[in-house]
Amino acid sequence: MKLFIKSTVILLTGFLLFACEDIIEVEVPTGKKRLVIEASLDWEKGTTGSNQTIKLRTSTPYFNIDTNTNVTGASVKVSNTRTNDIFIFSDQNNGSYTTTSFVPVIGDTYQLEVIYNNETYTAVETLTAVPAIKSISQSTKGGLDDELLEVNIYFDDPPTEGNNYMTRYHETGDLFPYFYTFPDEFTNGNEMLDFYEKLDNPDNNQTPFQTGDIVYINLYGISEQYYNFMNLLINQYYNGGNPFSVVAAEIKGNCINVTTPENYAFGYFRVTEVVKTNYTFQ
Amino acid sequence: MKHLFLGLNLLLSFILSAQQTHSIRGTIKDSNNGETLLGATVFIKGTSIGTVTNEYGFYSITAPQGQYILTISYIGYQTLSESIYLEKDETLNFELTEQSTSLEEVVIIAEETEQISIKTPEMSVSKLNASTIKQMPAVMGEVDVLKSIQLLPGVTNNGEGSSGFNVRGGAVDQNLVLLDEAIIYNTSHFFGFFSVFNTDAIKDIKLYKGDIPAKYGGRVSSVLDVRQKDGNSKNFVLTGGMGLISSRLAVEGPILKDKGSFLVAGRSSYAHLFMKASEDFKDDKLSFYDLNLKTNYELNKNNRIYLSGYFGRDVFNLSNFIQNTYGNATGNIRWNHIFNDKLFSNLSLIYSKYDYQIILDFVKMDWIANIINYNLKYDFKYYLNDKIQLDFGASGIGYNLNPGEISPTSETSSINYLKLDQNRAIECALYINAEHNINEKLSLQYGLRQSQFSRFGGQNIASYVNNKPVVYNSKLGIYEKGVISDETFYEKTERIKTYNTFEPRLGLSYQFNPRSSVKASYTKSAQYLHLLSNTVSVTPLDVWTPSGTYIKPQISNQFAIGYYKNFTDNNYSLELESYYKTINNRIDYIDGANLIGNNNIENEILNGEARAYGLEVLFRKNKGTFTGWLAYTLSKSEQRTLGGQAGGPGINKGLWYNTPQDRTHDISATGSYKLNSKWTFNSNLVFQTGRPVTYPNGQYTYEDLSIAVYSNRNENRLPSYHRLDISANYIPNKKTETKWKGEWVFGIYNIYNRQNAASIAFRQNNETGLNEASRLSIFGIIPSVTYNFKF
Repeated sequence: MKLFIKSTVILLTGFLLFACEDIIEVEVPTGKKRLVIEASLDWEKGTTGSNQTIKLRTSTPYFNIDTNTNVTGASVKVSNTRTNDIFIFSDQNNGSYTTTSFVPVIGDTYQLEVIYNNETYTAVETLTAVPAIKSISQSTKGGLDDELLEVNIYFDDPPTEGNNYMTRYHETGDLFPYFYTFPDEFTNGNEMLDFYEKLDNPDNNQTPFQTGDIVYINLYGISEQYYNFMNLLINQYYNGGNPFSVVAAEIKGNCINVTTPENYAFGYFRVTEVVKTNYTFQ
Repeated sequence: MKHLFLGLNLLLSFILSAQQTHSIRGTIKDSNNGETLLGATVFIKGTSIGTVTNEYGFYSITAPQGQYILTISYIGYQTLSESIYLEKDETLNFELTEQSTSLEEVVIIAEETEQISIKTPEMSVSKLNASTIKQMPAVMGEVDVLKSIQLLPGVTNNGEGSSGFNVRGGAVDQNLVLLDEAIIYNTSHFFGFFSVFNTDAIKDIKLYKGDIPAKYGGRVSSVLDVRQKDGNSKNFVLTGGMGLISSRLAVEGPILKDKGSFLVAGRSSYAHLFMKASEDFKDDKLSFYDLNLKTNYELNKNNRIYLSGYFGRDVFNLSNFIQNTYGNATGNIRWNHIFNDKLFSNLSLIYSKYDYQIILDFVKMDWIANIINYNLKYDFKYYLNDKIQLDFGASGIGYNLNPGEISPTSETSSINYLKLDQNRAIECALYINAEHNINEKLSLQYGLRQSQFSRFGGQNIASYVNNKPVVYNSKLGIYEKGVISDETFYEKTERIKTYNTFEPRLGLSYQFNPRSSVKASYTKSAQYLHLLSNTVSVTPLDVWTPSGTYIKPQISNQFAIGYYKNFTDNNYSLELESYYKTINNRIDYIDGANLIGNNNIENEILNGEARAYGLEVLFRKNKGTFTGWLAYTLSKSEQRTLGGQAGGPGINKGLWYNTPQDRTHDISATGSYKLNSKWTFNSNLVFQTGRPVTYPNGQYTYEDLSIAVYSNRNENRLPSYHRLDISANYIPNKKTETKWKGEWVFGIYNIYNRQNAASIAFRQNNETGLNEASRLSIFGIIPSVTYNFKF
């Protein structure tokens, strides 16, 4: 649940009043190398959604990261299970596979098929809609720290229960985007608010927002299964190993290997509707 | 129930065979403050007739008519010998005088005291009294019962700053923690840094690690029985102290013409006062306080009333975005009634509550959860004859659990009001236990406990398709929620589910000679409440859930054997114990389990099992200017959760995995050296195998982030934990004309500044984009100074 990811951070803050952090050398085990499928078919509201990219890579050891993990020579296609339309993604020889003819339809179910090293991977996902962002504002009094700037986005959750959302915030100049997932579990049918605030954390090279900063904002409508996957993934990414974090586990996506089931792939095949916008701090 | 009556019959046959004798009964007290002494020994010299005082200082012994020397002893007190001629039933109250603290008169431990610990079948028990605890070096000078017991074998916790403690590889929620008989659900202040027990208000603690007497039940790993002081019945006394973290003040004294006494003790942290003064923290608050109350009144020779209470609270506010408060509150009224020279009884009505509240300002949400229980129990102790003592009684606990109520804090909040289903249950038990001296060498303890747990309605219970609240998705290899087929509403008076557990307890002791013995025990116990927590350390925000339709009670079976020996005039003692414990129905959580704000917890859990075994060694030096102990534990604690009804391999592929409390080696050495009447030096040395953790075994890029791949659960370990603490107690020159007694305690915790890893987080550096391992260590070297006084 969304709120409690944040309260974990808060508990940890209290904890850190006593503690100190440093970077150490740790020997970690090396597991099996697996195919990683990043198949994110995101239909931006107001566009045709016909240009789509799927990325294939391999996993690597945790510290000794292989620089070239791109997978080439695979065959990649997506089909609409209702219309039986087939979209072939062509190999760009850099780990990307692209199409220019994808047809997104809200509520339709799509099937992914990847053939690599004579093994076939498949996944199924339904295109989930997203409401429009009503307004964006900045404030200091909201958010976690009432002296720091945050950006707020507002949108209306539909009256039906069980909607799930993901936000992606990326400030120009930052190495990494920031992800967040949340259900409408406690807020069904209401006006929804999500905010992004950067705390002052010199340890991890993070500085608060200032006037003139530009932040790119994506709001995705996501399936419940993708919510479960992504919620676990970002929870482990941001809190991995802290004393109040959930015990870490391997995260399984929806890409299964039909040839050799134990060779399942990491990553996910998602089909979403997305709203993209940006905000410049005043 | 059948077994219980069988047991009663067996005991009645002993009663009939008892011979004509007289009995002596009474109460043993401290001559200085009138506090009753629990566990003091009363012996008839030259015989094997003897007993120890119960929780209220009461004793009763039986002997044939004759001339005897009665010996009364208690650790740290001068032994009293009294010549008596026994020709009728008598009441004899005794007062013992504490050993003087000067050098010449070092503590002499009475032979009888040691004899009885060698002789009685009681084993797997750790006892510490408040004065021992107060001497040990403590982090920031904050004396802590729960940290002290971790220096004994078989007791650990999940690292500095984690709540609770673990006994013999058991989980934190498997300990029954009682403060004057009231259940304490959260033993920690400041999220685990300090315990809720104020040592100024505590008389005695006793930890049962196994061989749990039949009168206790409801938890499968241990019982920590903490007793508050009754209050000084002779003089008004003010005690207190000031340390880095908190200040303490206690007032005690006699009431109503020495017919009773009272104690009021308070403790409060004061970091928040400094925070207020600081520009950076002026809107933040981090504080705790607690209040202990106790009073007793003697109605007449055979009747005494006790009232006791505890109220503790933690407040944690961070500049207007979170306000968090939590704490325990307990109240207890007790009536001691002595029916006759042989039959002692106590009736208690106990109230206990744990609650927490979080207000999250940034989402305008207010969250409240609590657990309340009322407990009525009636305990009897029957001193049947010089061979047999019986404990029997009944108890009933009513639970009301409110797992969560959320509400918006303002009109503009997007939060909808939600109250999770209230859970109601009643836990009843009947028990009987006999301590039986068969002959000079052999003693037995046999008991039966029959417990019953009924979950009551007032809520909906879901039914699932194929009766599967959790379903294995074999395609994706993950566990998912089951599909609800129906919901049934149960009335408040209607039982949803009832469990009955027959819990036998057995112990025996065989004495080779007055200095050495072997003991063995078997304990079965049931636990009906479970703490829901899938985080590495439990947090104050975790909620308790009762057994019911889908959650079965945890059942443990523990076997233990031990060898005990006293050396060289009881200067040294050695205790060796080995145990094997299994626990059925230990709940485990599916990946991504949502435990908060969830009415259908059964969707998130699977039933697993746990096992633990180990060897414990405790070597003590009991007498002299240097005293202390060396404790070593070699142990293993694992759990496994198969898919069972839900299908699939289970959690962690159905393999056994180390529990977070598994420690292969755990060594602690504690020493105290009394230099002279002014200075005493103390030290602790601790070494432990690192906590089991899960390290990543790979990574991949997804959404521009480096995602760690975690494999088998708890297969790796944090680096070993070790540290050395020292402290010095200084008592300035006593001015004989003043009543004021002061004492300084100077301490250094973790003197060689070991950076012990509380956790290691694997993350991606925001600047370089590279993966790194970040160690979180809590307490480095920490000096402290505390001033204690008594007036």
